[in-house]
Order: sequence, then structure tokens, then C-alpha cells
Amino acid sequence: MNEHFIKNIEIKNFKCFEDFKAEGFGRVNLIGGKNNVGKTAFMEAVCTNIFSVDLKTFVHSLVSISYARDYLKFTNKKLPLKDFLEKSDSFYVKSNKQTLKYKVLEDNGIKEYFFKINNNEIVINVNDYSFELSRNTKVKFINSHGYTNSQLKEVYESVQKKDKEDILYKYLNQFDENILNFKIIGGDKPMFKVDTSNNSSYAHLEEPYRDISEFGDGLKQYVSIICSLYACTNSYLFIDEIDNGIHHSKLDKLWNIILTLAKEQNVQVFATTHSDECIRALVTANTEDVKTYQPKEHILEDDEIKFIELGRTNGKIDSIIFDFKELENEVAQNMEIRGW
Amino acid sequence: MVRIFCEGSDDKTFLRLLLNDLKKSGDIIGFDNFDSVVKVMGGKSNLLNKESYSTIDKQVGKQLTKILFIFDCDFQEDDKVCGGFENSKKAIEDLITELDWKIVVDYYIFNKNLDYFIIDTLDKKDKFLGCEECFELKALNKNRKILTCIYKSLYPKKPFDFSHQNFNELKQKLKNLFKDEK
Repeated sequence: MNEHFIKNIEIKNFKCFEDFKAEGFGRVNLIGGKNNVGKTAFMEAVCTNIFSVDLKTFVHSLVSISYARDYLKFTNKKLPLKDFLEKSDSFYVKSNKQTLKYKVLEDNGIKEYFFKINNNEIVINVNDYSFELSRNTKVKFINSHGYTNSQLKEVYESVQKKDKEDILYKYLNQFDENILNFKIIGGDKPMFKVDTSNNSSYAHLEEPYRDISEFGDGLKQYVSIICSLYACTNSYLFIDEIDNGIHHSKLDKLWNIILTLAKEQNVQVFATTHSDECIRALVTANTEDVKTYQPKEHILEDDEIKFIELGRTNGKIDSIIFDFKELENEVAQNMEIRGW
Repeated sequence: MVRIFCEGSDDKTFLRLLLNDLKKSGDIIGFDNFDSVVKVMGGKSNLLNKESYSTIDKQVGKQLTKILFIFDCDFQEDDKVCGGFENSKKAIEDLITELDWKIVVDYYIFNKNLDYFIIDTLDKKDKFLGCEECFELKALNKNRKILTCIYKSLYPKKPFDFSHQNFNELKQKLKNLFKDEK
């Protein structure tokens, strides 16, 4: 059932990672650590590793990683793919699923790209390269800016195809009782339907369907995560800064949804946070009390939930991986586990 | 980062008071979240059991660079193996050898227990001992827990006298632990 899961990773020369190894990932993995320790880069390396099934997806993953980070710089410009691709001159990422290697070769004025996916090696002269890209649509990465409308539309289609709209509406209503449903209207406009009856906070509005931009980032993050879990069946979901815009009182419910859908849809989830409240909410969402009213098939085993703490040992990035019981114990005693 | 391992929540509360006092006097600088460094092990037998440290093993040498064990020596007549000062000293030294952590590890053992230790530092010590004798408290609880509870009830706002010389050794160990910690 979970044969596709990434269980270990080895990263060399990838962004801030010089030589890094970690093992023991679970179904749901929360990553914590101080600023600039490499939480996002860690997810990017894992994502690249499983996203890259051929040359076009490999290149797409490299470009999209750079694009996501430089999003604000390039919003209105044509993407300089070559520049994105050459941001790194070499790296190596190996997991239990596959091995990737990338290198820019320069010799006597001739520049070539070297790609290796498992045993398949490809060398291409830069001038001959078409820079064709292809997306691996089963793997989703919600970066810290959140989804664009078109990305949200794409993942919402998965909810529709699985006839899970009612479940989505129920979850959204739990987030904000005045939200009745969510739709893509007119082909590309994500909109929430609000309750405009007398007792609602939206009673002053005549039109119940409101553009997503009228709502806070938290609601958008919430709907993005839920829809993505349906879009990533038997695959992977990466969420950078998962608690972005979400009030702490809603975090344990969000984790509860993530744990339930990650199990139901068989998704491996990686998410980052800086927040103590977010870590505590994950623990709260999996307590024995909560489990008693969960359907059995949606309950995660303790070793399916991991907390990955990143830090630096003698200047090099290192990790400590806690299973759920260990995390629960550390949190109960208020121990500091958000990096070193 | 540093970590202190103690037996129970009363020990943690006491250590946080003492650490805050050291912070106030400038003996510990640049660190104030003491709650996040004192870990309760759930009794002396757990504290002295290697199996209790499987999570800590992962953190040692990475997140954790200095460790201090603080616990009671208790009474030899109650525990022939780990009771009394000499047995406790041997038990913690054996544990440290077994754990084989390649970082700075130290220990401090309270004479008998924390409550004995605290009563010894009170300016009204004689009166409390008189109270103990008068009510035959030793027969009820030889740990002097009742006496410290009475002290806290009578003087809820009066902190322990951390300037008492009995605190010096423990204070020095705590200062060493937090030296260089930010």
C-alpha cells in the first residue's frame, strides 16, 4: 500500500546541503528547524528525487524549484529556463526510490548538461537542448506563497472527479461556519459561497459567492491542502510553511484532516513549520482521545507520523527524527525541538 | 543546547526557581527558557535506566552538547543497589559509562533527597525539625516532604535561600552547564 513512500534520502551539493543523510520517514512528516537551516531545500531535494521520472520532469523540477524561490522576481517576465537550470552546477540526491545526479560540464568552451536518473545517463550540449518541460502531475508542492488560482483549480478538479465536494464543504464549514461551499466559477475563478442569512457575519452581503481574494490566506491554505490531498492519491504532497495564515486554534483540525486524508488517499506528506503551536497541534490531532471517534481505517500508527528536526552540527546540516511517541513526550515536557 | 535530567516535577519546579535566581544574579546570561531544558524522567529507577534514553541518544552530539543529571541518593535501607550516596554515585557513573555519550556529562546527587536538602537551608530549620519530632512526621514520611509542604504553605511568597552555602556546589554545576549557552 505504501511501497511508494520515500524512506531515506542522501543529498549532496544541493543548495545548502553539502553531504546529508536521513532515514526513517513516515506517512506524515513535519519538518522543524531554525531559519536558513534548509527545511524548504530538504523538501525540494526529496520532491526532485521522486518528481523526476524522465529528463523532462527532471528539468521541470529544477526549474520549478528555482522559480518558486524567485517567484516575485519573475512574475511578469519570460522565464529564463537556462538560468534556472544552471543555478546549481552539480548535485546528487539518492533515495530508496531512485538516484538522481545533475552536473554542468564545461570543457574547452563546450558546455553540456549531464543528467543521471538511476542507471540512465544523458549528456546534452546546451546549444542543442530544447528545454522541454513536463510536469509530474501526481506530485504537488505548495510553496510558501500558496497556490495560484490555476493550481488551485487543478487540485479542485480531483475533488470533483472523486465526488468529494461534500466532504470538502464540511471541512471548510468547520474552519469557518459561515463558509458553505467552494467552487471554480466561470472556468477559472475560485469562489467561496458564504452564508448571508441574518445571523451570519456576511449578512450584509447580497451576493453569496465571493472571490477567494476577499478571504484571508488561512482559508486559501486550508482549501489548497485539502484539495491537494485528493490530487495526490498514492503519491506525495509537500507543503512549505504549512501554518501560513492559519490561526492556531484551527491547526489541530487541519492536522486531523491531513492525517485522515493522507491515510485514506495513501499520500506521503512532508511539511515545514517554525511554529511550536503547529507541532503541538499535530500531537493533539493524534491523541488517544481523538482516535476514539475516528474510523479505524483512518487512524495512523504511531510510527507513521514523524517529526524531522534539522540543525547544524559542526557547521553541517544534520537531522534528528522523532517518531510520534517521542514527539508527544518531548512536547508534553516543553522540550525545545525546533532546531539547534 | 543543554539538558538536565531530574526525577520528578517537584525537582523541575525547584530547578527552574534556582535557574531563574542564577539568571537574576547574572550567573547565567542569555538564556531564559529553562522549562525547555529540564526533563522529568519519572523517578529514580527510570533516571538510572539506560533504556530511558533512546530518544536522547538521537539528540546527543547534535542538538545536545552538555548534560547534567540531578537526583536524590535516598536511603540505603530502602534500596540496597541504588539507595544511599555511595550506591547512587556508583549507579550514575555506571550509567554514564554505559551511555558512552561523547559530550560533557556531569551529575549532582542530593543528600538523601530534595526535601532534606531544602530543609537544611531554611533559617527556621530548627523549628521545622522540632515540628517534625513533635508530630512524629518521620513515621509518616521520612522524606521530609510534609515539612517542605508546610514551609511553602506558611511562606508562599518567600523563596528558598539560594545564598545558603549548601546550594554552592549545585549552583556551580548549573553555571558550568550554561556557560557558553545562548
